[in-house]
Amino acid sequence: MGVIFLIVIYGVPLLWLAATSLKDNRAIFANPGGIVFSPSFQAYAQMAREGTLGRAALNSAIISIGTTALTLLLGIPTAYGLDRVRGATLTVGLGVLVLLQMIPQTATIIPLYRVLGAWRLLGTLPGVVLADTALYLPFTVLVLRPFVGGIPREIEEAAAMDGARTRTAFLRIIVPLLANGIATAASLVFILAWGEFLYAISILTSPDTYPISALISQQISAYGASWSGLMALAVIGSLPILVVFVVAQRRLASGLSLGAVK
Amino acid sequence: MADSKLPKSALSRRVYLIYIIPAGIYLLLLALYPFVNLLWMSLSNVTTLNIVRGSWPFRGLSNFVALGHLSDFVLAFRNTLVFVLIVVSVGMLGGLGAATLLQVKGRLSAVGLGLMVFTWAMPPVVLGSLWKFLLLPGGLVNSILATLHLSKGPLWLVQENLVLVSVALVNSWAVIPFSALVYRAALIDIPVELLDASSVDGATPVQRFLRIKMPLLLPITLILTVLTVVYAFRSFDFIYVMTYGGPGVASTTLPFLSYRLSFINYKYSLGASVAVFTVVIVFILAFVYVRALRRTEQT
Repeated sequence: MGVIFLIVIYGVPLLWLAATSLKDNRAIFANPGGIVFSPSFQAYAQMAREGTLGRAALNSAIISIGTTALTLLLGIPTAYGLDRVRGATLTVGLGVLVLLQMIPQTATIIPLYRVLGAWRLLGTLPGVVLADTALYLPFTVLVLRPFVGGIPREIEEAAAMDGARTRTAFLRIIVPLLANGIATAASLVFILAWGEFLYAISILTSPDTYPISALISQQISAYGASWSGLMALAVIGSLPILVVFVVAQRRLASGLSLGAVK
Repeated sequence: MADSKLPKSALSRRVYLIYIIPAGIYLLLLALYPFVNLLWMSLSNVTTLNIVRGSWPFRGLSNFVALGHLSDFVLAFRNTLVFVLIVVSVGMLGGLGAATLLQVKGRLSAVGLGLMVFTWAMPPVVLGSLWKFLLLPGGLVNSILATLHLSKGPLWLVQENLVLVSVALVNSWAVIPFSALVYRAALIDIPVELLDASSVDGATPVQRFLRIKMPLLLPITLILTVLTVVYAFRSFDFIYVMTYGGPGVASTTLPFLSYRLSFINYKYSLGASVAVFTVVIVFILAFVYVRALRRTEQT
């Protein structure tokens, strides 16, 4: 019974999102709360005509994939090194990561803007990737660490007795064993980066380079009246999340509670 | 032969440290250095003239003193506390409630859980925009209220005394799935024998909940509280998209104020001061909670 309630309060808004994107804009204007309507693809057609969607989707993809790749590249060795080094370094390292995670985005954007400016990365997508990676790297390491912790040291010792160097052991043995953790972390970072918009609108100068999330955030202020357009954009912008969700639902659920809590 | 076997003792530690170095350098440059920069900004006078180039005149704590006199700051601070209170209480209680409800096995539970996790995964800009639409004066929420003859339909995002609560509730809604997942895992960990034994002893479900489940959930609740408090303090996306801090400063919290001061009013030093203030508060709160957590772990 209570579960039905949950399904309603989490299902109805999503349903409404899709439904509104299929409404005619004038109908929305007249009655935003109307339940009966005749479907129209007007909003989607208009988006296709204007062509902004394709560009924005590409920007989103570049930012999200780039950020995910870079965070994993930096985060996997770090999670491994931190877990295996133990002792004071581990405690300090974790402490620093947890503290970094607490800093609000609005705090870091101000000086980050200046740092990226000095490196001439303002207005560029790589600049956003660098900023997003710095933002999500602590989280990634914290999510990956329990997975590294789950790999017994005996495996590395066995590899050493077979004559393997640490780096070989790491690449050939540890990383494949971390596949689960990597998939979890990748899903989470991708989702987060896909929705990130503050760094994007602050660092990027031309709307041509905006990712979908930034477009949506700006649409509110600029085009208050075009709800169907906004909802259509939101629906398209949510599709990758749907894909990641369908593929990785169980990982998301366990990775969240496991990594964030421990 | 030293490098063909797993290194031991001091040598081995050095090897592991090497693995940490790339990320260490990266974060040093793009996270720690900007943070130090922020601290310095809050202690100087930074304007559009000298933000990228030029030196910043040192001003000591005068920016922070100025904040105390800024009515917007006082309001934003109060708003932030209210916001955090709502998000933490509704978010965690809702999560616990949802986790309890979802303990029932079956298709419906799976669907419910799936919808919740999917909602959590959605970009806040999308969720915020959606609810902005739902909470329009003629929007779905008010339509439903009118149909049920419950209310005339308040102006959720316009009335000054209601805006903050509205945004906080939407944020809570988006965050409940996280608490629900954490509690769900914790509830599953409770040994069934414990619960069965108490039933045999004649305990009602309510008693089972209060006497057995809740104490066992205490450690996880503390961790979750820290995480949620920190999250709520930092929350920015929903406010930006739904109300832009307004009307006036009715829904402005500290993070939004710091954004507005820096990027709209170009008062970078003041913005930095608000940001530093927020970070300090968050650090203190987290420290206090972790202390409390350690104490419960020892008992």
